Amino acid sequence: MLPAGCGRRAAAALRAALGEGAERRRELERRAARSRALLGRWDDEEEERPQPQSGSSTEHEDRPSPKELEELELLNRALEKALKVRKSILKTPLETQGATGQKWAGESHAPKKAEEQQVPVSVEDVPECRKVRAGSKKPLLLKKPSPYQLRAPYRTDPDVKKLQRKVPARCVSQGPRTAGKISSKGMTSKQGRSHRTAAGASGREVCAAAEPQETPGLSESAPNEQQSFSGGDSAAGKNSLATDKQLHDAGKKSSGFLAESSKKDTAGAWGRSISPGTGTLQEKGCQLKLPLPYRKAYSRNSRAWERCRLCQTSADATAARTRFMERIQTTFCSLKLSPSPAEIEEELRGLQDVPSRLRQYVEAEPADPSTLQGEYESLLTLEGLQTTVSQCLQKLQLLREALESQLRLCPDCTGDVGSCSPACVPVRGQTCDSPDMLAVPLLCYSSLQELRDLFALKLQVSMLHQEIALQKVMMAELLPVLEATPLLKGSAGLFRAIQSQLCEGGRRFPVLVRDELLD
Amino acid sequence: MRGQHREQHREQHREQHREQHREQHRQPGRALPAAVGALCRALPPRARPAPDTLRRARFDRPQASLDFWKLLYVLLKQIHGGRWTESDAIGAQVRFVKWALWYHGYGRPQLQRLPADGSAGSRELLLAFSWLLHSPGLLEQLLARSRVQTGDETSVCTIHLFTSGSHVDQNLGHFSVTETDLIRQPENYKQLLQLLESETTRLEAFLEWKQLEPVYWQWMETVLDNMAEEGDMCESQDVHVEKRRLPEVTSCCPWADKLTGQMDRLSRDLMALQEQLHQLVAQRKAAWWQKVATREELQKERFSATARKIEESIELKLGGLTSLCAPKKNKMHGLCRLVLRSKHPAGKMSLGRCVSKEAAAAVSAAEVITELQVREASLQRELQQLRQQCRHRLDRIAEGLEGVICISP
Repeated sequence: MLPAGCGRRAAAALRAALGEGAERRRELERRAARSRALLGRWDDEEEERPQPQSGSSTEHEDRPSPKELEELELLNRALEKALKVRKSILKTPLETQGATGQKWAGESHAPKKAEEQQVPVSVEDVPECRKVRAGSKKPLLLKKPSPYQLRAPYRTDPDVKKLQRKVPARCVSQGPRTAGKISSKGMTSKQGRSHRTAAGASGREVCAAAEPQETPGLSESAPNEQQSFSGGDSAAGKNSLATDKQLHDAGKKSSGFLAESSKKDTAGAWGRSISPGTGTLQEKGCQLKLPLPYRKAYSRNSRAWERCRLCQTSADATAARTRFMERIQTTFCSLKLSPSPAEIEEELRGLQDVPSRLRQYVEAEPADPSTLQGEYESLLTLEGLQTTVSQCLQKLQLLREALESQLRLCPDCTGDVGSCSPACVPVRGQTCDSPDMLAVPLLCYSSLQELRDLFALKLQVSMLHQEIALQKVMMAELLPVLEATPLLKGSAGLFRAIQSQLCEGGRRFPVLVRDELLD
Repeated sequence: MRGQHREQHREQHREQHREQHREQHRQPGRALPAAVGALCRALPPRARPAPDTLRRARFDRPQASLDFWKLLYVLLKQIHGGRWTESDAIGAQVRFVKWALWYHGYGRPQLQRLPADGSAGSRELLLAFSWLLHSPGLLEQLLARSRVQTGDETSVCTIHLFTSGSHVDQNLGHFSVTETDLIRQPENYKQLLQLLESETTRLEAFLEWKQLEPVYWQWMETVLDNMAEEGDMCESQDVHVEKRRLPEVTSCCPWADKLTGQMDRLSRDLMALQEQLHQLVAQRKAAWWQKVATREELQKERFSATARKIEESIELKLGGLTSLCAPKKNKMHGLCRLVLRSKHPAGKMSLGRCVSKEAAAAVSAAEVITELQVREASLQRELQQLRQQCRHRLDRIAEGLEGVICISP
């Protein structure tokens, strides 16, 4: 068999490769699970609480404990009471809403499960496109007037009107595909009305109100942890912003959706989170809104990136910098004139794919062109390719010489410089003034097929890289075993195995026939 | 008499010069600490020096040396995608920094001669650091590489589709998985928010730095002035000494070995191709002259016109080839954010709700696919070549196998 050391090293290399593969698979599975969760229904845990779990859910929610159910019941009752009160107060303002008013009236919603640790601001993220489940006999589902009405005592109509105004703008800005969705959602609203963001926005308000400790300014009318939902879809957009402003104006300190609440545990009754709404991503994804704190941070961040990208070095700075660079470079060894090792590597990288590309051209040439023109074309093409090849060879030679001369000054780097080469080599000639370095790096795809092809290829390429690396390691380990000593008796089997592994990728075996003379 | 005048003149000039120098030293005033401070704040969080370190280095204080070695080590490791830990030995740090500076083309021999225990050389390191700011654009690279990831780097087609239209950033147009998950479970993403905010702070420091840059470079020039005065500039002899190092130095650098291996393989590939083309061209030429010889009288007139057209079209076809040999400029490196963009640019973009900040560096999946296909082909070939090598060697071994005949599959 294999000598111990060699076997150990080979096994170690293989194990490392397997480990990498397993790690990658785990990572992919994790991401896939996350994506699957996002693609499923987002409110599964809420729905399954009072009902037996539906099979499609991928959530791992625990069943609500009896205590939680009890709390739920209490809260429901309180909710009913409060809303009865509101109804009477708010009927009038509702009528003055005008055209959109009717859309907000009389919606039915399912109370949200409150996650008290979620500061109200997070509720704003909740896309107001919860699908209304009319006809469902859930105990939590109550018919109430639109939650926005709960705000009315504290907020004046102009704010609501502001929301109204914003709604059309947002709708228009949606792509044609989503526009269709909005209207269809409007159609499917169980109440037969199309819902607008304001409803959702006010839903947020209510939710905000429902957290007395966080929103002192708004909580009077909703002393309980009452969450009401606005059904239907919404063109989120500016409406949420308007609402958010109001929340701020109300003196509520938006501590960000990350603020922890002390009542985390009791919130269990309301579910794991204030889910952004019922339904799936497919139904309402277009109307989702990022949480305000994130949105703010994100837009500040992307503005800062943009400013940095467009920021140009002032003339003074360029002049001063150039003076410094010129002076310091006069102190360099004269070898500075040749390309630096980084540049050599970059040039080489550019040449790597040339043989493949040229081969494509060669293979594209017809073997035997029928026409005179075809013949001529073919000839010219091949001659052109020939020129290119010799140019590349010349360039390669220059690079070799450059590398040699640079290596004469190479500092003594022993093994531990290890993974020296930059993972992503800085592009040649790139100085600090290239704006593209700070541009948003986007990879745009236009169809699912493209995406699939892209990733299949990426996987294939990285697998090839790994195969090649393993091949080299195996060659270095296994071939010397066979080449070194005079072969022992049992080597035939070893030979067969190694031959199969190194030459056929382990897929086929050579046949070894005993050479016995029959005489 | 004239000599005296000249002497006075010279003295005046020298005095003026000294005055200017003093001015330069005085001028920085508040601007310099601000510039240095902004510079430090624009560096990545784990590699942020105290402004004092730079100031001490300017005066070549040995106490600043260790810190500066560490600073360069961490920064360069980040560029090179390498791993490092707090406990990496100073010897390793020094070796790596020296190698990386050589790699990027920094040619001051004094740096290579600094002691391996990191006990001296802070001023040299300051110079190297400043050089790095410009030459591979250290700051910008670090910013780009450590960019907070809010997007997707993997396949998440369906989620992109479903959330189209909802992102504030019109350029992106839809949410990433991370962002969608953020909406669903905001409590899991505190860290992301913090990272975003600290990155914004860093970017603002960068902008401040760009404003105050001139002062910094002037300051660095004074460092060079000092060194010139100290007679530091006479090392031309040493350069020659360095050059006389033995050529077998290649084996000490694994990076160089790798590069040499690549060059060898490329050379083999190209020469094989050259051989193949040589044959093909010879064949074609022969076939061509045959064809032409028989029809020469008939075709000559008409053909010269078409010939020119053919030549032009070939030039076009092969025009792309010359760019093949040049390194691709501004190729996108590193992680990109996946974005779904339908081929039809109409729709939300045209409504101009947001100023579309056209990111200049958007790469299409189709391009990447093409490149990957080429890469795949060349990797396949490489693998086949390796296997072929093995076959040859094993065949030779098989001949030595006693009493056994090997029949390859």
